[in-house]
Amino acid sequence: MLETIKLTKSFKGKKAVDDVDLYIDEGESIGLLGPNGAGKSTTISIISTLIKPSSGDVKLQGKSTIKNPAAIREVLGVVPQEIALYEELSAYENLKFFGEIYKVKRNTLETRIQETLEMVGLKERQKDLVKTFSGGMKRRVNIAAALLHKPKIMILDEPTVGIDPQSRNHILETVRKLNQEEGTTVLYTSHYMEEVEQLCRRVYIMDHGKVVASGSKEELLNILSSEDTLQIQLSGTTETVIKKINSFNAVRHVDKTSDGIRIITKKGSNILSELVHTVESEGIQITNYQMVTPSLEDVFLHLTGRTLRD
Amino acid sequence: MFAVFKSQLRKDIRSPWAIILLLTGSIVLSLIASGTNQTTQTTVPVFSDDGAVLEKWEPLLNENDQFAFVTGTEADAQANIRDGEVNMALQLFEDDYRILTGSNMPQLQILEDYVHTLFTTEAQLQASGTNQIDALRQAVQEYLESPPYQLQIEAVGGGEIPEYNMELQLLFGFTLFMAMFTIGFKVNEISAERTNGIWDRMILSPLTKMSMYLGHLLSSFFVGFLQIIIVLLIFQYFMDYDLGNSFGKIVFITALFTLSMVSVAMLFTGFMKTPEQFQIIYSSTIPIIPVLSGVYMPPGMLSNPILLFIADLFPLVHAVDSLMDIALYDISWSDLALPSALMLLIGVISMGIGVNLVERRNS
Repeated sequence: MLETIKLTKSFKGKKAVDDVDLYIDEGESIGLLGPNGAGKSTTISIISTLIKPSSGDVKLQGKSTIKNPAAIREVLGVVPQEIALYEELSAYENLKFFGEIYKVKRNTLETRIQETLEMVGLKERQKDLVKTFSGGMKRRVNIAAALLHKPKIMILDEPTVGIDPQSRNHILETVRKLNQEEGTTVLYTSHYMEEVEQLCRRVYIMDHGKVVASGSKEELLNILSSEDTLQIQLSGTTETVIKKINSFNAVRHVDKTSDGIRIITKKGSNILSELVHTVESEGIQITNYQMVTPSLEDVFLHLTGRTLRD
Repeated sequence: MFAVFKSQLRKDIRSPWAIILLLTGSIVLSLIASGTNQTTQTTVPVFSDDGAVLEKWEPLLNENDQFAFVTGTEADAQANIRDGEVNMALQLFEDDYRILTGSNMPQLQILEDYVHTLFTTEAQLQASGTNQIDALRQAVQEYLESPPYQLQIEAVGGGEIPEYNMELQLLFGFTLFMAMFTIGFKVNEISAERTNGIWDRMILSPLTKMSMYLGHLLSSFFVGFLQIIIVLLIFQYFMDYDLGNSFGKIVFITALFTLSMVSVAMLFTGFMKTPEQFQIIYSSTIPIIPVLSGVYMPPGMLSNPILLFIADLFPLVHAVDSLMDIALYDISWSDLALPSALMLLIGVISMGIGVNLVERRNS
């Protein structure tokens, strides 16, 4: 349905998006995963025709949207990362404004406003000014504003940044409903791994403007099939310990966690005795030790050498 | 377009305080300035080596409203000029005078004309050979009240030539000046919406760029125009200011000025990257324009060709001049053609460059 072909965008000689190929089927839910500055927002800005690529193309049903932006704009609903709303107006007035500019017919606009408010759980607060809302509620109105014209494709750019867990769950549930119950195609960008795991059938991982891996969750986890992940709780951590463990032959990567370290090793390698000896020689005790199932976070770490929140 | 226009107005209705503050500001400033202007009388120290000469000329000199002649010593007068406390002083002799000044200014000529006329008149009275000069002066004054020949001056359209009204000029000047702020802050909404993502949302909607700009600019025009008209109506009907009999022409020039100023604000928007940058630069630049345009001074005070040229680049000077001509002389529509064309030209050029710059920055 929607694809990008060798999409590249440079700003002052620096490539923000570098040769990106994406494909989204109708009704699919796709996650675009990457840390801040990975090029996710630039990619979706190009897909939604807000900026032009330096090279490459975006095709909707085989037709270039770069040459004919109106074709995709008709079927697209974009939820920007910013709260793009009039704070001085009420939720209802904001939705009325966006409905009017999207040319939603006057006799159906009122119904659509109430439906979208219901969907994002703000029907009771519709008359309140947006400036009186919490961050999470604002984000929900932000989503509702993109739903009024019943778009076939929804692009959501980090819609859960900086909000409370209740609003976050509400937003995730709204996106899930849109995709599974209404058949809306969803392109969801985030740097929260668990959101993408929960919502998306396929994931594209981006870093430094490039797609470094793509596939279903299982396919991506298979990348780590030749590795084990050890989660170790310690009474303390020093840079010297991390350096020493990193120098073990079987160790691929050591990452500091809140209460210890996470070690990625070659599959089947036994480093326990060597690890205990090294840690104790630094006067640190191992308080817990477990082998964990790899997550997409581990895949990302393996592919890029950094965590999503870096 | 109307959706954008309505949303902008709804926002202003929700938080109208900035507009109300600027509207009140223009009323208060006009009142303060006109009050100050009414009491303005130039003080001129006057001195002489001969006390009798001072005693003779001082009462005669003070028979006017424009200058207040204050007797003193030569040293004090010179010190006052040196310190900048006064601009001119007058030294008197029995049949002659000398003006001392620190700079060549238009008021010097006015003082010279006044003193010269007074001395000439006195010389003529003395030349009559009579000893009773005061009686002769009285007789001449009475005779001049019904002279055998009278020169009557009429305005082109008939009737008396009205006196120049500085209060009115200050009213127009301050009203338009404050409206320039309102218009600028309204147009700056475009920058704000570009920053917070609403502009992008509108781009993705079926709304055309033309409608987006028109909706915004029309609301800026409407609010600015309404502010000026409200202030002028308050002064016309509640403060007893005489704005003349052609309010239609005043409305026309106000509309052209507002239109032109919206374009100038759009030009500023084009050069600025953020709404905050606009607010700083615009707020610092706009107060200079009335000063350069000579709006706070009587006509003819500003003669520097460079300053006059810079003033001509902004619509304010054309609008104030036209409004004064309408209010005082009721000039014809054809006489308004040139300033109107100039304001339109400023508007078209500024809007063209401004929109182009905004679009270039977006792309």
